Amino acid sequence: MNRQLAHLSDEALVALAARSEQSALAELYDRYGRTAYGLAFRVLRDQALAEDAVQEAFLTVWRTASRFMPERGKASTWILTLVHRRAVDTVRREQRRRADSLELADEPAVEGVEEDAFLHLQRERVQAALRHLPDAQREALELAYYGGFSQSELAERLGQPLGTIKSRMFGGLSRMRELLGEPGTETSWTPTT
Amino acid sequence: MDAHDLTAAYALDALAPDEAEAYERHLSQCEECREQLAELNETATALAFATVAPAPPARLRASILDAAAAERTNVVPSRRRRWVTRGLAVAAAAVACIVVGLAVSLSQSSHPQPISASLVLGPNRTGSLHISGLSAAPHGKTYEAWVIPAGHSPRPAGLFPGGASTIVHLRGTVPPKSVVAVTLERAGGVKAPTTTPIFSAPT
Repeated sequence: MNRQLAHLSDEALVALAARSEQSALAELYDRYGRTAYGLAFRVLRDQALAEDAVQEAFLTVWRTASRFMPERGKASTWILTLVHRRAVDTVRREQRRRADSLELADEPAVEGVEEDAFLHLQRERVQAALRHLPDAQREALELAYYGGFSQSELAERLGQPLGTIKSRMFGGLSRMRELLGEPGTETSWTPTT
Repeated sequence: MDAHDLTAAYALDALAPDEAEAYERHLSQCEECREQLAELNETATALAFATVAPAPPARLRASILDAAAAERTNVVPSRRRRWVTRGLAVAAAAVACIVVGLAVSLSQSSHPQPISASLVLGPNRTGSLHISGLSAAPHGKTYEAWVIPAGHSPRPAGLFPGGASTIVHLRGTVPPKSVVAVTLERAGGVKAPTTTPIFSAPT
């Protein structure tokens, strides 16, 4: 695997991809392909559909890299937003799979998965933050983000007014933001000296 | 509908298409929402890192890169080997360097897979060539990079063995309006090119 671009920032890689540098696209995939696929698979519960969503998202990166604006947000956020949007569009088309994703809302056990330490820590950190949310907020975030349900569908499904759903989503994300930005949650590293 | 309170739903992709369009129209006029969306979008994306899933199949990486190559290629196949003088527009990139797409000329029989090459120019006119798809040099041969300043003879700028993906840091500087080229030479390199360039481009 070519990691000669490993020292460049994500944003620099996007700039190189905008100049048709394929190795920059490869490096971005090596950094985020696994997370992208994990996300698409979680939403779609189907290997072939997840592969399609990831492929289309990375090709959108390739096609539109020159329009990426680093001052508007991180490149990783941009890439994973493209993956998520594509996966949600697909799951909304494939009505049949919607019920599955609800029933399988718990994390599947994946044994023997190799992954790097960074991804492992990152997952622990986000899962810990999710556990700290009030149940109603966590439910709203998970059904919206992983289930692909729109806010109106959530209101109907949960038997709550739309306003309640909106404030659960906003409250949940705001609280997550605090938890993730806050040192001292369970898995964060604390100097001992 | 008050668009202000749709920011979290938009960040989670939880709006119906017509709601999302209305929110995007609002976004173009509301700096406050743009700032809030940037924050909430980053937090929503953190949820992507909480998932547990099998690793993607190895073919997915190859499939993406192949499709990307087929879609927007900077490779210009040519019937005859010749110096190619077409370069893509020069643009400043976010990394404070300049990337120049190189048009690549190659014999199709000796290089079945597409070659792509870019020249990255640093702030002090240093340069590096980023090449992919160039097969490894045959035994007893080496690739040699050249910088050819306008009106001067080619200056040796480094040897490299080729292979799937290579970055060549060019020796010396790359003066404005010079041409950068790569030839196949005997092992150890030569002082002046003896073969037709595999590719070349003006800077």
